[in-house]
Amino acid sequence: MAFIDIEDLEVTFEGSGRQVRALKGVSLAVGEEESFGIVGESGSGKSTVLRALCGLAPVTSGRISIGGEPVQAPRDPAFYRRVQMVFQDPYASLHPRHTVDRVLSEPLAIHGFDRAEERVEQALEDVGLGAGFRFRYPHQLSGGQRQRVAIARALILEPKIILLDEPTSALDASIQAEVLNLLDRLRAERGLTYVLVSHDLAVVSHMCDRLVVMQGGEVVEQLTREALQAHATTEDYTRNLLTASEGFTRDPALQR
Amino acid sequence: MSPLLSVENLRIAFPSRQGPVEVVRGVSFSLGRERLGIVGESGSGKSQTGRAILGLTPVSGTATADRLEFDGVDLRTASTRQWRKLRGARMSMVMQDPKFSLNPVMTIGRQLMEAVKLHGGKSEAHDKSIAMLEAVQIRDPERVMAAYPHELSGGMGQRAMIAMMLVTEPDLLIADEPTSALDVTVQIEVLRILDRLVTERGMGLIFISHDLRLVSTFCDRVLVMYAGRVVEELDARRMNEATHPYTRGLLNCLPTITGDSRPLPVLARDDAWLE
Repeated sequence: MAFIDIEDLEVTFEGSGRQVRALKGVSLAVGEEESFGIVGESGSGKSTVLRALCGLAPVTSGRISIGGEPVQAPRDPAFYRRVQMVFQDPYASLHPRHTVDRVLSEPLAIHGFDRAEERVEQALEDVGLGAGFRFRYPHQLSGGQRQRVAIARALILEPKIILLDEPTSALDASIQAEVLNLLDRLRAERGLTYVLVSHDLAVVSHMCDRLVVMQGGEVVEQLTREALQAHATTEDYTRNLLTASEGFTRDPALQR
Repeated sequence: MSPLLSVENLRIAFPSRQGPVEVVRGVSFSLGRERLGIVGESGSGKSQTGRAILGLTPVSGTATADRLEFDGVDLRTASTRQWRKLRGARMSMVMQDPKFSLNPVMTIGRQLMEAVKLHGGKSEAHDKSIAMLEAVQIRDPERVMAAYPHELSGGMGQRAMIAMMLVTEPDLLIADEPTSALDVTVQIEVLRILDRLVTERGMGLIFISHDLRLVSTFCDRVLVMYAGRVVEELDARRMNEATHPYTRGLLNCLPTITGDSRPLPVLARDDAWLE
């Protein structure tokens, strides 16, 4: 049995007499200490999988289990000590009027961790920021530094699973490399399991051993990194994504 | 042939508590009827450069240049009346995010026709707008004309905005991250449209982006900006021959699908680049 097991997950959003089926029966299995990628366009439901996993989206049907046990609804505190999420936009995911210290201490207080002081400093050290950043506000930090704080906030509860929702898409290319390296190092050091969602095939191929491609709320293809690198895809959609991510090619008709 | 646009020693400064801060520090280039890419990270001054050409520097800032000339018109001393004739009609700008740049309470059709009417051609405004929407490959132009911006997807909105900027057939188009908010597959479609219009109409295009790889496959020439200066100018096809450490660093720090360098090389900044 896989570490994270998702079976026939369906999510339907309802509003003003309209139903939107965001996920139409998604099944995934992620192994322990694996780095797993989900790729797709906007609206393909890739973020919804993560949100459903950590209880932020209404699950209509299907089963989710972690470590062999089905998850509780609503999720209990023990769940959040095992599973944490890093959101896409570091400009929106940190409270603008809370200092870094407060952002990091709050989860510790909620979950009753001891030695808060020490842990906050350690977490900042781990993400390469140092104690000097402890009493700053988000507006005093750059995008990359904010994302490091968001990662520190996820790590401070010592979870086993981290859900990463487009962790670098709001960052500059040079900063993206730093954050990806940081995530890579943390996973190797702590034996974390990652589920990474991104629209950037290059990022997913760099970070993940296995990945699925999603379209319209369904999984269209599952691939290993090697298959992706060898362009060994069977689906046209994946092939289009691959070509598109290699950059612009001039329309053949105009090349004369 | 005299260039369409020439910029010499463009400087833009904003006041701050510590005195004026220069965000663009002596940028010079000239543009013919070609695709010029400007690449740099956030804060490098690439967008401010684009805005200054259209005279859209925020009021708190000051833009100065030794020369800023568009098709024989000196933009530094242009009167409001001259600007009105230029902006929209002869040079226009596509912004990054259609969600914030389209008027949310006007239908796409009204916004498009407004552009046509302001620059002559009242009677054929509707037909022209429809034709333009077709040119940017919107399959159902009548529906889009009647739609409000929130009823369109990001890709459709961006195409509608491009249509709006091109309906007056400008000579120069400044595109500020026109595809950054879009999915990769849609991004390529939008670039195809821009590419065709440049080729067919002989437009000049300034393409501002942070994505060096994309720009190098799309543009003819690339200016790399760092901290308000152009550190390197390159032929897009010779990207691999870049000599400046910043350009090289930018190229190397991108993960690739086939590559497997771990950890990724990180860009080490050098204070000497500021000079």
